[in-house]
Amino acid sequence: MVRYFAKRLGLMLIALFLIILVTFVIMHAVPGGPFTSDRNLSEEVEAALNAKYHLDDPLPKQFFDYLKGLLHGDFGPSYKFTGKTVNDFIANGFPVSGKLGGITIIFVVLASIPMGILAAVKNGKWQDMVVMAVATIGVTIPSFVIASMLIYIFSFRMGALPSFGLDSWKGYILPVITLGGYSVSYLARQMRSSLLEVMGQDYIRTARAKGLAEPKVIFKHALRNALIPVITVLGPTVANLLTGSFVVEKIFAVPGLGVHFVNSVSMRDYTTIMGVTVFYATFLLAMVFIVDVFYCLIDPRIKYD
Amino acid sequence: MENRWEMLESSNEDREKLWKKNRTFAGDVWFRFRHKPTAIAGFVIIVLLLLFALAGPYFTKYSYSAQNLELVNIPPRMKVYEAPDGTGYMYITQSLKVVWVNKDGTLGGQLKKVREESESSMTIFDCNGTEVALYYGVKPYMMADPETRVLYPTRHVFNKSYTLGTDSLGRDILTRLMYGTRVSLMVAFVAVLVNLVIGIIFGGISGYAGGTVDTIMMRIVDIISTIPLTLYVILIMVVLGTGLKSIIVALGTVYWVDMARVVRGQVLSLREQEFVLAAKTIGSSTKSILVQHLIPNAMGSILVTVTMLIPSAIFMEAFLGFLGIGLQPPLASLGTMCNDATENLRSCPYQLFIPALVICLIMFAFNFVGDGLRDALDPKLKK
Repeated sequence: MVRYFAKRLGLMLIALFLIILVTFVIMHAVPGGPFTSDRNLSEEVEAALNAKYHLDDPLPKQFFDYLKGLLHGDFGPSYKFTGKTVNDFIANGFPVSGKLGGITIIFVVLASIPMGILAAVKNGKWQDMVVMAVATIGVTIPSFVIASMLIYIFSFRMGALPSFGLDSWKGYILPVITLGGYSVSYLARQMRSSLLEVMGQDYIRTARAKGLAEPKVIFKHALRNALIPVITVLGPTVANLLTGSFVVEKIFAVPGLGVHFVNSVSMRDYTTIMGVTVFYATFLLAMVFIVDVFYCLIDPRIKYD
Repeated sequence: MENRWEMLESSNEDREKLWKKNRTFAGDVWFRFRHKPTAIAGFVIIVLLLLFALAGPYFTKYSYSAQNLELVNIPPRMKVYEAPDGTGYMYITQSLKVVWVNKDGTLGGQLKKVREESESSMTIFDCNGTEVALYYGVKPYMMADPETRVLYPTRHVFNKSYTLGTDSLGRDILTRLMYGTRVSLMVAFVAVLVNLVIGIIFGGISGYAGGTVDTIMMRIVDIISTIPLTLYVILIMVVLGTGLKSIIVALGTVYWVDMARVVRGQVLSLREQEFVLAAKTIGSSTKSILVQHLIPNAMGSILVTVTMLIPSAIFMEAFLGFLGIGLQPPLASLGTMCNDATENLRSCPYQLFIPALVICLIMFAFNFVGDGLRDALDPKLKK
């Protein structure tokens, strides 16, 4: 098992290196330097700027310098906001996004698993139909549409919840629902089908034949096994929450990292785009890895070669 | 055959005849697909949307970019005040202008402003020679007779000039919707086509070659799939600049991973089967085995993956448009229309709801068709 994780970790590092390389190449493939779009600078000024940011070095050297910086946790300066570094953006934005994301994950788990269990236990009854209808809507309707409708209904029409900002706990309700909507639906479907599959197994029949009470059969015997495939999906769910936060942060005016990323894209702040991408990718790979370890720990049947 | 239960002679050829009509595979698929109401509904919706997007622009008299700043933010259904002379109606816009509405619901121009009476919160307009007052002291604003202060009778009429209303720049929403749907569907189809080509070639080679080649190629796929594709689409958009072509290129270069996996899995299991061995025995080349035997057999799963990819491509385009890094104005796409509408969501919710509804329709339709197709092509996969 240790060997397996060592291998996964190695693969992860290779992936990370390639991601950094590709991002770096893409960002330097952009025609013109980072300062060409500004007012016409005199050649001396441009040369000085290039020298200041080491843009006159050969590309491989720039890449390894960048890599060295990353290893020290230094994402480099921002080209568009003088005096600011990409680290500042991440340090300011990520805690906000992270808190929103964390609450959303809790919401997703607490909402989707009971929904899935309910649908599976009441298979074919109206409860199942309702859960599946909600889940289908959640998977198909884009989050920005859901968000706008929620704002219109709950903020503008009813005036019950704020339409922007995270100042109070009320402010979290709509963003969390929007951000988690897709994942809740997806996980609920997953939970339902996985539990239904487990409920058809022989050992469930045995448990029932022993005369166990139905709740005990479901929660003690079926649910534990049915949860395993659901946990696998948690890794990609983190990815969904991450990119989903671009839209949610924009709509609800949350000063998080996603909004920074989108802004830096439209302002063409190349180092910020690069830094945030690398940051996101690292974070994501780490999350997928953790889910993997967790997965292995809860299911002793899985043997890794 | 008068007597249906008569014993037949053993020499009679009808004995061996199969009386039931033989169904081909395609017929079988169509039979199963046809018996799923959601799938058929989705299919019909897609056909209607295609008609709407492709043929629609020939039936509208507006262009998607022409602005009419006199008629801004006019909803599809208006609350109007009857004009004092009874020849038409008056509609109050959000910017406190009064628009003339004919009896049949078509729009005229703005009424001419005569003077401002700020102490009584009234603006006086000239309506066919009579003076009418717009009272803006309290919301909602009202139209009244300036002398007697009696409100004109109100009623609701449908907007006949702009069936779905106008947006914040006075552009016809129906026309923009046609072009937006067209863009969304085009992005989806082209991106999926590119995926299909790259995915089939990549997955086909990987699955058929096997061994080290397969391992390396699948590692590449693994690495690509660890990163959220959204990030890479955005990165590619940064390099290529915004526009329709960039979206298609970005989606096409990044979204083929799923397809490659599906094709590889199919090829991997199919290449061990007897008919491939038979083809090899008679000396078929690798290329003809791949093209003639393996890919057609894998077509079912490929088709299902395609129908599932289309909604995600459409979603991606709308997502980019909504973030403001997709199409640039005045071009319309469903995402940019939603984005434009969020600014005055409070006063003109219809501007958001209409394109949002179309996006939902597209997503539902393709998902239903994909589900139906999956069940029809391979009933074993049915959940």
